[in-house]
Amino acid sequence: MSAPDAAHAGRAHSHAGRYVLVWVGLVCLTALTWGLSRFHIPGGAGVAVALGIATAKGALVALFFMHLYDQPGANRLVFVTSLVFVVLLVGLTLLDNATRFPLANPPDSELSPGQVRDAVLGTHSAEPPSH
Amino acid sequence: MSSEPAALAHHFESIEKQVHAERMGMWLFLATEVLLFTALFAAYGVYRFLYTSAFAEASRGLETWMGGVNTFVLVTSSLTVALGLDAAARGQGRRSAALYAASIGMGLVFMALKAVEYRHHFVHGELPGMYYQGHIPGSGGSLFFALYFLITGLHALHVLIGMTVLGVVAVKSWRGRYSASYHAPVELAGLYWHLVDLIWIFVFPLIYLI
Repeated sequence: MSAPDAAHAGRAHSHAGRYVLVWVGLVCLTALTWGLSRFHIPGGAGVAVALGIATAKGALVALFFMHLYDQPGANRLVFVTSLVFVVLLVGLTLLDNATRFPLANPPDSELSPGQVRDAVLGTHSAEPPSH
Repeated sequence: MSSEPAALAHHFESIEKQVHAERMGMWLFLATEVLLFTALFAAYGVYRFLYTSAFAEASRGLETWMGGVNTFVLVTSSLTVALGLDAAARGQGRRSAALYAASIGMGLVFMALKAVEYRHHFVHGELPGMYYQGHIPGSGGSLFFALYFLITGLHALHVLIGMTVLGVVAVKSWRGRYSASYHAPVELAGLYWHLVDLIWIFVFPLIYLI
């Protein structure tokens, strides 16, 4: 399908029709991710769906609007390399936090996480466990 | 046209090689821009992981429709930039300039909606860091708004720069400085604008939806 614009600009090797198609795809995916967010998909699935749709939209923009699909290999390599570092930076940083574990002392001991926090902050949020 | 010899710098053999070098330089710059925003996305990811419910609550307080409309506006402004490059490639400088001007107009709409949003946050005390006076207890709310203002503020700065670059190129297009055989600045300004759009495509779900 093409808008009137595409038909008008059809001669002389125009990409206008393709641009309009990509735009229609981007608008549909935006509506899709917006609509899906209203259902509050439980757990990490909602995040995965939203980021998956965003990646699809980003790929459309990079490949067709930014013409990465017909660029020489060097330019593709530059951009793909930056994406590798995106994955490393976000992935490894999150992995660090995800694999830390809270202090494993008994919850009513003087070295439990809550007691340590109270000692550091000078607060008394919880009742002392024993007399 | 007379623009080719004028555009060719003396240290390049031919205009083709110069355009290749210009394009690659732009892609290298865009890669650094991606990493600049990635640092903020990583920080957002970490604190969203550590303060999941506070971030979810703060995100629910945002006007999702404004983020959605702004996504639509930016995506459409990318389309007019792509069509403007198409016109430039066929030597239609004025058509190209008009399409780039349309993108600048949509950039203004984006900034106006952002200003309305920021005003709302200021009025409700949803400020970053120690200035946070919202209703979310603990550090989660202030951390969310610190990252919210850093990410959307840096992005808005890029929108302003992009509008300026598009404007400069559009004026030159209108005056017939480019031709079907040499219009690299039109292309590179467009690449920058598409990147601003690309980053917002990730900001929208991260901050407004999840």
